[in-house]
Amino acid sequence: MSLFNTDKDFNVISNMIPSGANIIDVGCGDGSLLDYLAKKKNINGRGLEIDQDKIRECLAKGIAVMQGDADIDLIDYPNKSFDYSILTYTLQATKKPKEVLEELVRISDKAIVSFPNFGYWKIRLNLLLNGTMPVSDDLSYSWYETPNLHFCTIFDFINLCEESNIKIEKKCNLKNHSIEKYTKKNWFDNFLLESGMFLISKK
Amino acid sequence: MSKNTIVELASSKNPLVLDCGKSIGPIKTAYTTYGKLNDSKSNAILICHALTGDQYVASEHPITKKDGWWSLLIGPGKSIDTDKYFIICPNVIGGCMGSTGPNEKNPKTGREYGLDFPVITIADMVKAQKLLIDSLGIKKLFSVIGGSMGGMLVLEWLSKFPSLVFSAIPIATTTSHSAQNIALNELARQAIMADPEWKSGNYNEHNTKPTKGLSVARMAAHISYLSEQSLHEKFGRNLQDKTKIEFSFDADFQVESYLRHQGFKFVDRFDANSYLYITRAMDYFDLKTDNNGSLLEAFKDTKAHILCASFTSDWLYPTSENKVITKTFNALGLNVSFVEIDTDNGHDSFLLNEPEFFHTVEGFLDATYKKL
Repeated sequence: MSLFNTDKDFNVISNMIPSGANIIDVGCGDGSLLDYLAKKKNINGRGLEIDQDKIRECLAKGIAVMQGDADIDLIDYPNKSFDYSILTYTLQATKKPKEVLEELVRISDKAIVSFPNFGYWKIRLNLLLNGTMPVSDDLSYSWYETPNLHFCTIFDFINLCEESNIKIEKKCNLKNHSIEKYTKKNWFDNFLLESGMFLISKK
Repeated sequence: MSKNTIVELASSKNPLVLDCGKSIGPIKTAYTTYGKLNDSKSNAILICHALTGDQYVASEHPITKKDGWWSLLIGPGKSIDTDKYFIICPNVIGGCMGSTGPNEKNPKTGREYGLDFPVITIADMVKAQKLLIDSLGIKKLFSVIGGSMGGMLVLEWLSKFPSLVFSAIPIATTTSHSAQNIALNELARQAIMADPEWKSGNYNEHNTKPTKGLSVARMAAHISYLSEQSLHEKFGRNLQDKTKIEFSFDADFQVESYLRHQGFKFVDRFDANSYLYITRAMDYFDLKTDNNGSLLEAFKDTKAHILCASFTSDWLYPTSENKVITKTFNALGLNVSFVEIDTDNGHDSFLLNEPEFFHTVEGFLDATYKKL
């Protein structure tokens, strides 16, 4: 998805990660983020990716990548295999988002998860005024062909974490690139942010 | 350019001690090389061949006159670039293309070994390869690459000589044969031994050759190298040079004719006893059992960069088997990549023109070479 590809967004993630960390990027695409983090934070990165062309691009960058599916293959990693796992704009495309989140906090100490926020005011307005499923530059698929199976709002995500015994440690504002300690649900975040990004861990 | 070299390794005083307890020495190893070993001897890649492969990996085969079995992958400017890397491909011991095997003369009796040749294992083959690498003065292999049985050799290298391997590509392989794998090999062996011309393994002394048995063995094996889909697409129920079935046992169907051809041409280049010995070695291969029931134990000392590859339509060494390997490397926190190439070409895919596979190997090697 095109939502997340700027250096600034990479930078927010980079700021949450200590140097030299062991990291798995789930749905790592062509490995750009891992490459960025390797250069900036000297991380030891691994990727999981479903698309063969993208895997080839990762390998050519010298990134270790496993062909696999977040819904199926995370189970193969032992507990605490990594310091951090990263799941950017992939949660909504998984078959079982709850299980995937639980796996992430099992295989790593902490997980960084980002997703498009369906509570964003423009999406609400679009549905209210047009009465059709929102299609924008960032969410460019029509409802009948979208690979995104499970859209949620920031509130939905927070509720799911509570239900799954997952602790939310930090929240990131991808608009102004701030990282704050998470305290409680914030109505404005849910209304004003196009996407959510959180640092989570197992309670 | 390549040349075939036969080197004598080990000796009667300092023999190769085999897993079965017997010793042989000296042994011969026939191998080819391509490209040039650099001054620091850091660009060497060992290529491990499969059951019926040999050292002619990227040069014309002296018997069949065909291109080397991996000449699509290996050569100047190709994915495994011989302008950059120094390629070594030895014929395994037990083989029949110049390395010590059952069709060699037993120095003790002056007669051909036949079934007196000791039963060898994948580990024995690797120990012999290690002697070759030592003799070439190479302290660390940049990469060890092989598919099918060649992949078993790669895994054995990672397990036995971890400090000698910087990177590895085990392809379409397994850490141990399944009952189905063993059953197929047993079918092949029984076909050879049931041929009256086999003469209890002493056919050369009798000036005969168990060609019928060996070709049936090859036919059975060949089926296992293809997928149902590829057989269907290649042949379907098409008839061979005829318009209707003939109510006979001639090759009415194209697929029959094809298999017979595969069998017949195989016997010209392969030795029946070698087939018995090498299939046995594959059946005995079991990294888990040999390491106190733990694959983690088998690979505990390796630090290699590893790329595992499997093929979607391979039912002989399916993706699930290859995933057992990657899962182990993952659990050890190794720098491992895994790719499953989407193809209808079955197990044979690793020998065929699969650009996706070639590019994957190329990208991995190039990037890994920079990490040296």
